[in-house]
Amino acid sequence: MTLLARMTTLLTRAKRVLGIDIAREKYAYAEDPRFGHISESRVADSWVKTTCGYCSVGCGMLIGVKDGKAVAARGNPEHPVNRGKLCPKGLSEHHILAAPGRATTPLLRKDGVLTPVSWDEALTTMVTRICDIQARHGRGALGVVGTGQLLTEETYTLGKLVQLGFGTSNNDGNTTLCMASAVSGYKLSFGSDGPPGSYEDLETADVIFLIGANIADNHPILCERLQRNQHRTLIVADPRVTKTAMMADIHLPLKPRSDIALLNGIAHILIRDRLVNHDYIAAHTEGFTGFAEFVAAFTPEHVSHITGLTVDKIERVAQLYGAAKAGFIGWTMGVNHSTQGAVTVAAINNLALITGNIGRTGAAPFSITGQCNAMGTRETGFTSSLPGYRKFDVAEDRQALADIWQINAGRIPTARGKAYPDIIEGAVTGSIKALWFVATNPAVSFPNYDLLQFAFDKIEFLVVQDGFHPTPTTALADLVLPAAIWGEKEGTYTNSERRISKVNKVVSPPGEARADFDIFLDIAERLGLREDLYPGWTTTHDAYREWQRVSAGRACDYSAISWEHIEREGGVQWGGERLYTDGHFAFDGGRARLHNVPCEPFLEQPDEEYNFILNTGRTVEHWHTRTKTGVVAMLNGMVPNAWLEMNPVDAEKLQLRSHDHVTVVSRRNRVPRVELRITGIVAPGQVFMPFHFPEANSNLVTLGAFDPISREPNFKQCAVRVERSSPL
Amino acid sequence: MSLPLHERATDGNSFDLVRMSLLESGAPARIVHALIPERGLEAGEQYRFHFDMTKCIGCRSCEVACNEQNGNPADINWRRVGELEGGIYPDTIRHYLSMGCNHCLDADCVKGCPVEAYTKDPVTGIVLHSVDACIGCQYCVWNCPYSVPQFNAERGVVGKCDMCQGRLASGLEPACVNACPEHAIEIEIVNKSEWQGDFTRAESPGMPAARHTVSTTRITLPADVAAGALERVDGGQIRPEHPHWSLVFMTTMVQAVVGALGVMLLTHATDTVSLTLLATLTAIALNISIFHLGRPAYAWRALKMWRRSWLSREVLLFGLFFLSIAACTIAAWGQALGSFHLAFAVPMLGWIAAAFGLSGTIASAYIYLVPARPSWNMSHTPLDFLLSAALIGTLLASSLGGAATLLAQLLPHYFTHTAAHYAAWPTVALAILWIANQLIRLIRLHASSHFEGRASFALLSSARMRPGVILSVGLAMAAAVFAITEVWSLGLIAALGAVLTARYLFFVSVVPLSMGLTFLRERHA
Repeated sequence: MTLLARMTTLLTRAKRVLGIDIAREKYAYAEDPRFGHISESRVADSWVKTTCGYCSVGCGMLIGVKDGKAVAARGNPEHPVNRGKLCPKGLSEHHILAAPGRATTPLLRKDGVLTPVSWDEALTTMVTRICDIQARHGRGALGVVGTGQLLTEETYTLGKLVQLGFGTSNNDGNTTLCMASAVSGYKLSFGSDGPPGSYEDLETADVIFLIGANIADNHPILCERLQRNQHRTLIVADPRVTKTAMMADIHLPLKPRSDIALLNGIAHILIRDRLVNHDYIAAHTEGFTGFAEFVAAFTPEHVSHITGLTVDKIERVAQLYGAAKAGFIGWTMGVNHSTQGAVTVAAINNLALITGNIGRTGAAPFSITGQCNAMGTRETGFTSSLPGYRKFDVAEDRQALADIWQINAGRIPTARGKAYPDIIEGAVTGSIKALWFVATNPAVSFPNYDLLQFAFDKIEFLVVQDGFHPTPTTALADLVLPAAIWGEKEGTYTNSERRISKVNKVVSPPGEARADFDIFLDIAERLGLREDLYPGWTTTHDAYREWQRVSAGRACDYSAISWEHIEREGGVQWGGERLYTDGHFAFDGGRARLHNVPCEPFLEQPDEEYNFILNTGRTVEHWHTRTKTGVVAMLNGMVPNAWLEMNPVDAEKLQLRSHDHVTVVSRRNRVPRVELRITGIVAPGQVFMPFHFPEANSNLVTLGAFDPISREPNFKQCAVRVERSSPL
Repeated sequence: MSLPLHERATDGNSFDLVRMSLLESGAPARIVHALIPERGLEAGEQYRFHFDMTKCIGCRSCEVACNEQNGNPADINWRRVGELEGGIYPDTIRHYLSMGCNHCLDADCVKGCPVEAYTKDPVTGIVLHSVDACIGCQYCVWNCPYSVPQFNAERGVVGKCDMCQGRLASGLEPACVNACPEHAIEIEIVNKSEWQGDFTRAESPGMPAARHTVSTTRITLPADVAAGALERVDGGQIRPEHPHWSLVFMTTMVQAVVGALGVMLLTHATDTVSLTLLATLTAIALNISIFHLGRPAYAWRALKMWRRSWLSREVLLFGLFFLSIAACTIAAWGQALGSFHLAFAVPMLGWIAAAFGLSGTIASAYIYLVPARPSWNMSHTPLDFLLSAALIGTLLASSLGGAATLLAQLLPHYFTHTAAHYAAWPTVALAILWIANQLIRLIRLHASSHFEGRASFALLSSARMRPGVILSVGLAMAAAVFAITEVWSLGLIAALGAVLTARYLFFVSVVPLSMGLTFLRERHA
């Protein structure tokens, strides 16, 4: 440093210390031509219209750009979903585009150390290693886990790459940890996936029944839609007194996993009191007689015994739903995160079907999804079904795809491969030798971490493709591929109400990070399959145009919805505002199916040694494993660490006080030093902790039990005990 | 300010939709419900916030929007959300508070500010803060019962919510109002004299009583919640406040000097060397105190509001104290060096200095008598300041007396000193009184009727602070023992230790009035 520069620095510091300089420029205000008076640092030169990359609500937003940097985030007032509003994560989303901790260069483990390498070396190594492993152990030795964070175009591209390029059907997504049960439940009842309703139903329904859905924390903008409805009765079933439960007219604090009994019990009362729609049942469903016989056993007294709710409350809720002009049932992870998730969804669908609360304004059994593009993966994914909600086991479906792709139909698998938990189990048992994770952080999000660790130890090659490094998962990888994140690429997301919205590029990815799409194309190139799989493709728009042809004529028909159309409309719903308006369902014969769903107790019941039921969930300030929200200082400052909620009755027995540090112990492992919150939010005998925090990872103790149909984990209940942590 | 603020958008069939602040014509026509007043203010009216607790879902969008609006760092939140909880499972109730500045009718930040950085806007009633005028003394932080003003160390000044007046002026809602997905925050007009007469709707669980400053924020509470049913959730973890080291040293040193000067005057033992030392100590102490300011270069501005602010008065009186003790010292030197012989000058200037010193000490104590800081707002504070001055003063005077005697023996040509004899009993008595004052204060905090007082006691009795309390009392006892044995210098060290420790605890153990916050939040140093 020159003397002059040093003097200047000293002078600047002296001015600050003396208070002559008060950083006026940094804290100046200015007039934004669009949004008015605001901190000058947030005044943008231009605004990029895009869609939020956190949850599945799919809020339209505007990202302000100045000098090539994202400086502000605003809700898009014209977007039909959120009409200008955003939650705190969305309002600060521009910060993640300049956040620290990004993966900026490919890293290959050499002599045990992740070492920067060129893209060429990284991808050559990846293809060589995987092909070698597949040559030795069979094609199925590669397992791939994608994500609901990718663009629809990218998910579609990845599906083709894995299934047709690498030739393995062991392809799934982290969406299996999230909404697979909703998919399976819809398929069980209606013959196809697809949430039948719209957010607008929240504004028009007269009875809204939320089950295991804490939308105030997890989908705050849906609360805004709901609160517009001045004439609704809101019923919330949740064992925890969530923020959403506090909004309810009736809160049903039912015992964990007694929801099926409640649903069957409501059906019982509806049938008993002739509150069912016999015309609808006769015209559009099958199995009613058997169903009525089945639920006859679910008398209000029996249900009261199982759920812990009073008979009066159960009766009242049933009467309300039965008398509703338009009854809406929404659910999220409280239902999905269960070994009985798929059938619980079917039990919800039963209620909608026997009352005809489907396919009408305000009436829908509605799965509120988790990730921004979970729906896109459901539709295009090459995972639990073939793209366009086609079935692996239907020859015509495979042939139709082969025709579009101009390939031999024999290349398309005839059955789905391993689901996510089965891929991990395969790694443990030795059938899977290589794993490739894309934009997901299983070291925090997958249940029973010890098993995952074991799987990672056993495989030969672990590839993690992510926007951030280090994450708890990239730190374990043999190869880290640095990827672009939201705001750095262009394509589409589809939200919970089937609305396709455009996601646009705001800034370029940092360092050598590349869009996932470009990585997939490069890998295909190295496999010698680029023209075969992606003829003439250069951008995600090419993928979208092919996907339009693939989805044409299917339930999720994108063929008439061009990118331009989406931009113009601010999001377009495939299938229109609601599905099944004609009462015609996707089964042969067009009838929906009623299912007799038994209510089983959850697997790991508390006992003397592990005397609490651990429930897990989220908080509004954070997103999933906090790779993003953890680096947004404002959000992380609001909730910087994990906590465990415990009822005062239990805390007194254990002689614990709020802010004590406790250790949560299950049969599998322990989570040390969690800050205790003593609160009436949770019932005696239950404890709750958020799953966001790698530092206090709830998935060290959660149970690796999975729904036999959807393969979704049972994150919501396991048996633990709570001990005072030893002092540091 | 151009008023009225707002022109109504087109149709009126959906009543609860916020008008968005997109200035271009793109906003859908259905967006209508105004969350800011639709007419201008009339005489006797001002703007205020209305917070509807029944609508808030605790999403905290308002907090983020506020920080984005004002470009504030993550640890400064001009709008904060708090959580309240009550009831027994499953009849648990949870609600949220969201609060910016309450733009009080009788704002203590305005009254306390020594530099008139605060003004209550005569038209809008918004309590405005000028960063240009602010010297970063943070007295407003101590004065506000809601802990609204926050010090920004990067800037050296305080900042606070100004109701986004820059947005209001162009007919736009404040950022928090605009961001709230539940329309729980709005701006409305209040008639000031009516509100002054009845401000019960400013009261809420989790909020300090509105009477201190007459908060104008109207809070709609849930109808079905019984009084006392909701409690704040942030009470379990009281965090120590900033120690303000410069103030710990400044107050202790100035009090020591004032006390010593008083004792020396009373015992007619004002020798030149001792006076020089006292004047030097005063200069050091006052300079240290300047670095308590975020903007030391503008310390002189603190004199401005002496008619209103105790902080200004303290600065003024201690300034005069320094000038007079300096003059007294110069006179003493003049006498010692034989330049002039005004026998009455030294004691006269000395007594003037002592008077300024005493009144300065009292003004200094009054700074801490603020309702927003209950553990300071006790008679024990001025008592402590006076007793500390007297206790250290006697020991300092005795020690200096000994030193002066020694000096006079070494340099008899220049210094004459007739050693005053200092008795031990005043020191012993003062030490007992000083300890008694500390202990009675502790007992009163323990038995306090308000949360903040008990919380201060809890802090003082915590594992972290309890040793300090014991140490300060022990040192005061030691000072008395040293006085009895006439080891004045050790007595002085012990007394200084006792007062410095107690003063440190005084600063860190105060629990300010504030709104109830959330259970978890970042721990700032």
